[in-house]
Amino acid sequence: MFKYVKHTNYPINIRKKDLKMAKYLLSQFGGANSELAAALRYFSQKFNMPDDYGKALLNDIATEELGHCEMIATMVHQLTKDATVKEMEEAGLGSTYTEHKKGIYPTDSNGVPFTVTYFSVTGDPLADISEDMAAEQKARAIYENLIDLTDDEDVLSVLLFLRQREIVHFNRFKELYEYYKKKGYDKI
Amino acid sequence: MQKKAIAHSIFQEVIEVLFEDNNFDINMSLFMPNIERNPNILDPMEGFLRGNMFRNEYVPYKNLTYFKLNPKTEKEKTLYHIMALSFAINDLNLYLDLHPENKEMFELFKKYIAEKKELSNKYSKQYGPLTLTKTTNQKYNWDDSPWPWDNLGGSMYV
Repeated sequence: MFKYVKHTNYPINIRKKDLKMAKYLLSQFGGANSELAAALRYFSQKFNMPDDYGKALLNDIATEELGHCEMIATMVHQLTKDATVKEMEEAGLGSTYTEHKKGIYPTDSNGVPFTVTYFSVTGDPLADISEDMAAEQKARAIYENLIDLTDDEDVLSVLLFLRQREIVHFNRFKELYEYYKKKGYDKI
Repeated sequence: MQKKAIAHSIFQEVIEVLFEDNNFDINMSLFMPNIERNPNILDPMEGFLRGNMFRNEYVPYKNLTYFKLNPKTEKEKTLYHIMALSFAINDLNLYLDLHPENKEMFELFKKYIAEKKELSNKYSKQYGPLTLTKTTNQKYNWDDSPWPWDNLGGSMYV
């Protein structure tokens, strides 16, 4: 089960509205390589991990990723909350306003709604964990693209933090993958 | 593109300053390393700012490293301490999941949990609960703003 903690993983206080950046950031809320995809992927895969190492690691990273979803949605909210309808329309968010007003809906940066087809649960620990490693690398790449798109330090500081988490998670998954490979889980 | 280049060069300066002068405007005594401490494990505040507790695993992007936080009130300072400890506990947790036999890491993990517990109790009493079951003041104040996604224009959590 889960317990809510009333603070974000890393402080978020964005003072300047930036509607274009908000649109780009949606990628990490509801896109193919998003935090939401990561959270649901590890959360679903954990049930078939063969031992306590895999069960614990997937469970605990899934939990952290759920906190990251909240961070991305928080950033989108803070970047858009003071915008006028006209400003939203001018920033290419007219369709978003039509569908959701200022609500934060999990889509990618093109407005394509989130789908669970973004991830797999194969029941094979090595197949699942190699997908997890790839997911962390893809999310790191997306964070770097997002970092290239902004000069706002309030946004950058959070993106740099989240990018670094992808690096740590990749390292943990890689270690688990190598251990499972050695244990011969690909031959069962 | 030109604007971008300027912005990034300003950044570099900020970062250089950061490396020279890493004295956060908060009480660092809580985070003083043990004498026999593994130098690869960063102290909670530095690990928190970097997003990575392990020196050898840290990989910056281009010239961008990490930012200094500027807590403005006692409330913010305490909250940032709690967040840093919470981060450290989480990162050691992931490591321990794969290395449960690592005594040094486990001892640090327990130390940070104890420190976080003490600070969270102090924070809850003074400013309001961070978890539901800390709602033990006279009044039901779990639903009091700000929520983590709120921002109040200037400093956060004020």
